Amino acid sequence: MMISIRTRLLLWMMCGMALLLIVFAVVVYEVLSRSLLDGFDEVLLASARTISASVEKDDAGIKFEMDERQAPEFYRTIKPDYFQLWSEDGTILARSPGLANSGMEQFSGLPDVPVFRAVRLPDGRAGRAVGLVFTPKADEDAKTVVTSKQVSLVVARETDPLDSTGHFIRWLLVAATAGTLVLALLAGSVAVRQGLRPLDALAARIAAVRQDDLSARILAERMPAELIPVIGRLNDLLRRLDDAFRRERAFTADAAHELRTPLAGLLCTLEVTLSQPRTGDDYREATTECLEVTQRMQAVVESLLALARYESGQTALHPEALDVRELIETAWRPLDDKARSRGIEFDPRLPANLKCTADRDVAQMIVGALLANAAEYTNDGGRIEISGIDSAKSMELTITNTGCSLGEEDVEHVFDRFWRGDRSRTHTGIHCGLGLALAQRSASALGGSISACIADERFSVRLILPV
Amino acid sequence: MRVLVVEDYPPIRKAVAKGLREAGFAVDATGDGEEGLWYATGNDYDVVILDLMLPGLDGLAILKRMRADGRSTHVLIITAKDAVSDRVKGLDYGADDYLVKPFALEELLARVRALARRAYCVKTPCLEIGDLRIETARRRVWIESEEVSLTGREYALLEYLAMRKGEVVSRTEIWEHMYEFSSEADSNVVDVYVGYLRRKIDRPHRPPLIRTLRGKGYSLGVSE
Repeated sequence: MMISIRTRLLLWMMCGMALLLIVFAVVVYEVLSRSLLDGFDEVLLASARTISASVEKDDAGIKFEMDERQAPEFYRTIKPDYFQLWSEDGTILARSPGLANSGMEQFSGLPDVPVFRAVRLPDGRAGRAVGLVFTPKADEDAKTVVTSKQVSLVVARETDPLDSTGHFIRWLLVAATAGTLVLALLAGSVAVRQGLRPLDALAARIAAVRQDDLSARILAERMPAELIPVIGRLNDLLRRLDDAFRRERAFTADAAHELRTPLAGLLCTLEVTLSQPRTGDDYREATTECLEVTQRMQAVVESLLALARYESGQTALHPEALDVRELIETAWRPLDDKARSRGIEFDPRLPANLKCTADRDVAQMIVGALLANAAEYTNDGGRIEISGIDSAKSMELTITNTGCSLGEEDVEHVFDRFWRGDRSRTHTGIHCGLGLALAQRSASALGGSISACIADERFSVRLILPV
Repeated sequence: MRVLVVEDYPPIRKAVAKGLREAGFAVDATGDGEEGLWYATGNDYDVVILDLMLPGLDGLAILKRMRADGRSTHVLIITAKDAVSDRVKGLDYGADDYLVKPFALEELLARVRALARRAYCVKTPCLEIGDLRIETARRRVWIESEEVSLTGREYALLEYLAMRKGEVVSRTEIWEHMYEFSSEADSNVVDVYVGYLRRKIDRPHRPPLIRTLRGKGYSLGVSE
C-alpha cells in the first residue's frame, strides 16, 4: 500500500496530538474530581462536626440533643442525609429520622480522625459517608466526671450532584479534546500541504529533464535546504547516466565507423569475384582475403566489447600474483615468427622473479596488446627492448621499439580510440589505436597505468601494475 | 579511361582496382598519400578515387594540392565518415562525388563512369556518331544497327575517341588514357590498336570514321 508523505505526516502528528490531549484531559479530570471530592468531604465532615457537637455526656450517660433547624438536611423528607450514633458498646444512641427502621454500617478510624468511604444509602442512592469516633464533651451541669466514653458517628449523604458534575467535566474534556483534534487536523493538513509544495515543484523540475538530453541538470535555486541534497544526488545520478549514455553512443559510433572499412573491403572483394566466372585459384584467393578481413573484424568487435565492458565496470576481476616473464613469453609466442621474418630483434631484460598482482586474463591482454603494437610498428631489422623495475608498491615494465615515425606531439593521441597516426602502416591496414586504448583502460581497471613517450624515433610504453 | 585509386585498406584497393580494370578502365592504385599525390599531379587521370584517411597525407590534403595545382580531374571520395559535415567538407574542398563505406561496387563503377563522361562534357550514356552507336554502361558498340564485338583495349580506344569526337587527339594522350602507369607498352601500340579498330568499324561504302592527321594524331567523327 502506498502512503503519501502527506498522510504519513498527518497521521503521526494526529496520533501524537491525540495522545497528548488524552493524557492532559485525564490529568485535568483527576485533579478536578479530586478537588470536588475534597470539597464534598469537607461539607460532610462539617455536618458530622455539627452532630458531634450536639452529643454531650452527663451523669446519666450520653445525651443527644439536636434541633431540626441546626441541621435541616437530616430532616427533609425528600432525599435526606443520614446519620447514626453508636455508643462504645455498640448500642445505637441515635439515628436520623430518614433511617427509620434501617440502619447503617458502622465504621471509624482513630479517635477524631475522620474516615471517608463510598456507600449505598438505605434508600438505594449512591452516597458517601464519613465515620468519626469522638469523646463527647461533658455537660456543664454534670457533677461528676463520667468515665470518658467514646461515641462513634457515621454521616452519609448522596453523591448525585458530585457525580453529575464529574460527568459534565468528563464530557467537556472529551468534547474539547475531539474539537481540538479536528481543528488540528484541518490546520495540520494545510500546513503539511504548504510544507510539501516544494516537492511538487521538484517533481515538475525532474519531469522537465528530457530523455534525449541528459546533460540538463535540476536547478536548486529557491528550493528548501532539505531538498538541496536530494537535488544534488539526482544531478549526480543524471551525470552518471549521461556519461554512460555518452559512452554507449561513442561505442556505437566507433564500432560502426571502424567496421565500415573492413565491411566495404568484404563487399567489394565479393562483388568483384562474383561479377564474372573465375578460376578456382581466383576464388581461393578471394576467399582467403575475405577470411582475413572477417578475422580482423572479429578482433575489432571483441576489442570494442571488452573496452565497453571495462568502461562500464561490468567485468569482474580476480587479482592474483603473476610472473611477468611468463606473461611476456606467452604474449610474444604468436608474434615471434613474423618478427623473426622481418629481422626484428626481441630483447627482454627482466630482473629475476618480477611479479605483479592482477587479473590474469586482463594482464595477459594488456601485455599482448603492447607487444603486438611494438611488433607492428618496429622497422624491419629493428629492435624491441623490454626492461622491468621492481619496487615495494608497484611493478614497472617498459617496452621500447625502434622505427617510430611519430612526432613527439603525437604522444597524447596514441591512446585515443581509432587514432591512426602510423605513417608507416603497411601491414594490416586496419590496425588502429584500439589496442593501446584498450590496454590503457584495462590497466586503470587493474589499479595501474600506462604512459607513452617518443624520443629519437623510439616509442616507449610504460606499464605500471600493483605488486 | 584512366582511373587512380588512392585507398590504404588493401582489400578495398585490390577489389576496386580489379573491378575497374574488368570494367575497361586503366587503373593505377596506391595505398600511400604522398604517392597518391605524386600520381595525381603527374598524370592526366579521368577520375581519381580518394580515401580520406590515409597514412602520410590525408585525402583532403591531396585534393587541396590537386586543385591548387590547377588540376580539374574529377574526384570521387570514398570514406567511412558519413556525417553531413564530412561530406560537405569533402565537396567544398573540390570533390565531385562522395561515397560512404561500405558501398556496392556496382554503384562505384556507375559513378566512376558518370564522372568519366562528365570529364568530356558528355552527359548521355549513349554516344552516337553517324551510324556508330556506343552504349557506355554496357560497353557495347553498333555500326548500322549491327553489333560489333570489340576487345577491351579496342573498346577503350573507341570510347576515348568518341568522348572527344571531332577533336584531334594525340597518340600520347590516347596512350595515357588507355594504359596504366606500370604498363610496359609504348605509344606505338596505339597505332596498332587504331588499325584493329578500323578493320572492325569501317565499312567500304562510306568514309572512314577514324582519320589520321599525320604528326598530330587521330580524330573520330564525320568529316566535313
